Amino acid sequence: MTEEQYILIRDFCAGHSLEEHFLFQLRDYELIRIVEVGDQPAVPREELGRLERMVRLYRDLEMGPENLQVVEHLLMRMERLQEEIRELRRRLGRWE
Amino acid sequence: MDFIDYYKVLGLDKKAGAKDIKTAYRKLARKYHPDLNPDDAEAERKFKQVNEAHEVLSDPEKRKKYDQYGKDWQHAEEFEKARQTRGKSGGYGEYTYSTGPGHEFSDFFESMFGGGFSGRSAGRSRGFRGQDLNATLEIGLKEVYRTHKRTLALDGKNIRITIPAGIEDGQTIRIKGYGGPGVNGGPKGDLYITFRIHNDTEFRREGAQLYKTVELPLTRAVLGGEVEVATLDGKVRLTVKPLTQNNTKVRLKGKGFPVYKQEGSFGDLVVTYQVRLPEKLTDQQRKLFEQLSETKL
Repeated sequence: MTEEQYILIRDFCAGHSLEEHFLFQLRDYELIRIVEVGDQPAVPREELGRLERMVRLYRDLEMGPENLQVVEHLLMRMERLQEEIRELRRRLGRWE
Repeated sequence: MDFIDYYKVLGLDKKAGAKDIKTAYRKLARKYHPDLNPDDAEAERKFKQVNEAHEVLSDPEKRKKYDQYGKDWQHAEEFEKARQTRGKSGGYGEYTYSTGPGHEFSDFFESMFGGGFSGRSAGRSRGFRGQDLNATLEIGLKEVYRTHKRTLALDGKNIRITIPAGIEDGQTIRIKGYGGPGVNGGPKGDLYITFRIHNDTEFRREGAQLYKTVELPLTRAVLGGEVEVATLDGKVRLTVKPLTQNNTKVRLKGKGFPVYKQEGSFGDLVVTYQVRLPEKLTDQQRKLFEQLSETKL
């Protein structure tokens, strides 16, 4: 079993000058997972990339959680399709 | 000598008001934002253009200068003096957008308004983080048995990364700060590397557990003895008990695959014995089998 690593929400928000409330909103929209680590709310490290992307979109484009939910859904679909294209290209390369 | 028409960049005419500028900027920023256009260098270039145009046109002072001298900027002594004060070298080349660090805005912008954004209002001083880049790395299973370093060539630059032992097929690691350059002095994006691991071994892998089938000669399965088994860590000799049955499984503790990011921790290797029946017999062997048969074995 791989040990999961976490980042305390307090530290993340301090580093990004963010209100903690924003992360709980993302949790309510099922965009991130929040767990308790020693009585402190934290996010798994593996979700950091996605979380930072949401913070950038929130700030740069003033997107609220409801818009982020749509964007994340579409980005994930896009990533899956790109992965499928990569895999198909790889398979095709074997026969060329 | 290219003049950059910031109004054209935002799709506006010169009479555009502050609200029009803001609306056009938001629309185009949404369209070309690096996070919404991963791995798209053209979108990133346009995002920088849009950002630069907004930076000038949304600031009344900059907009006034731009409107006054824009097309004939090379005759504007004020700008030339300011440029010399900043210690820049002379000569006018073509104005282009460069994506390298420290060149987040066009030369045109820097000539007119100076490098950096020291004169900006506090509300607009935040930089944009560069786009994240994605790459796929194909690697053999044997290569991820041990933690090792590898140099990757990406966009003409060499990046030395550490590949941790035990990484899984399809797993993605993040290399912070190796993505696209930031805008407005913002930080660089990150590089995400997804591993495609092909199995170049005789083992089947499930996480840190390895599985292997080993053939046993019939006599060794019946009478017992020893068998040599190759593991990823070298060869080991196993004792085979007499009357070992087909599909008997033996677990070799710690001879499996390394557990990801847990140094010194390994899974197990499960060996399945497959008893090999003879395909040909000598006359003597046939006689011996016939004698065995008479014993009702």
